[in-house]
Amino acid sequence: MHLTDHVTDVQLNEYLDNETAERAQIESHLASCDECAARLSVLQSLFAELDSLPELTLSRNIAARFTTNPNLTPQLPRWLTLTATLQAAVALIALIVAAPFIMTLLPAIETPSFTDIFLQLQSQWIAWLDILSTFKMPTLPQSPPLEISSLVLTLTLAGASVLWLVGNGMLLRKQIK
Amino acid sequence: MTAPTDRDLLVRAMRGESDAFGELVTRYQTNVFNVCYRILHERGESEDLAQETFMRAYDRLHTFDLEREFGPWVRRIAANLCLNHLESQKSTAPLDEGRDADQSQRPERQVEVKERSEQIREALASLPAQYRVVVELRHYQEMSYDEIASELKIPLSDVKSHLFRARKLLAEKLHAPD
Repeated sequence: MHLTDHVTDVQLNEYLDNETAERAQIESHLASCDECAARLSVLQSLFAELDSLPELTLSRNIAARFTTNPNLTPQLPRWLTLTATLQAAVALIALIVAAPFIMTLLPAIETPSFTDIFLQLQSQWIAWLDILSTFKMPTLPQSPPLEISSLVLTLTLAGASVLWLVGNGMLLRKQIK
Repeated sequence: MTAPTDRDLLVRAMRGESDAFGELVTRYQTNVFNVCYRILHERGESEDLAQETFMRAYDRLHTFDLEREFGPWVRRIAANLCLNHLESQKSTAPLDEGRDADQSQRPERQVEVKERSEQIREALASLPAQYRVVVELRHYQEMSYDEIASELKIPLSDVKSHLFRARKLLAEKLHAPD
């Protein structure tokens, strides 16, 4: 811009907003032009009035809604909710499809009594204790043979699964509510 | 014992501790309410929208970047909510009689400063919705032209023209001879 040109209102707005690249030229012009300096002064007083607007106080405490409602939890991301729903739907369909096969396989499985399970666990426990008592890390050329029956393995896996589900349930309980 | 920082409270709130978020609301509710009040100029609506702002913020906590500041973030949510609210009401018309003059806060004999503040609030409330929000973001949230354009998803030229026209209208209303 030329020093003789008056500064436009748009330029004055940009100048006061610190959004102009012509800052030095505008300042040079303002220093020598009373008319533009007067227009700047009017705009500055408007800025000052807007900036001096006092803050009002609330008539009620909004925070109470959050502090007195412990069940209020952030929403899970939409993709996570959808994925979980999809997983549940797939699992349900798989269960329905597998149901007839499970029904034919179930009678073939011999269910051991509680006493049998307990006795087997006890003997396995004693066997493990024996192994542990004789265990010597540096001298053993190879691991002692572990005789784990399929029943014990199944029970261990089932127990681990239950623990896993309970653990996850506890972790996610607030988000599930 | 020192008070927890906003960041500490945000981390706890992200874990689902609503008490921690409540503490943040206590810290910023006046600030957010004033954003709403400057744009809406109606106490009841402003308080409702301030509350909704915090509900939205709580729901979007998982998107919040802990490296940023909570105050500007929640104030921007408030400004956007107010703009949507005004646009849904098509309330770009001048003040109607339902708009309050903060009478609950005004004593019988108003001091000059309070009267002037009320004139400024009324002048702001008489602006078209887009102008009001641009003034809010520029003057009270100190955002740059680029940031405002990005926040409102409007061209930079619109930001400049909205601001220019808004100030022109405000100056006409506030500096008009009695």
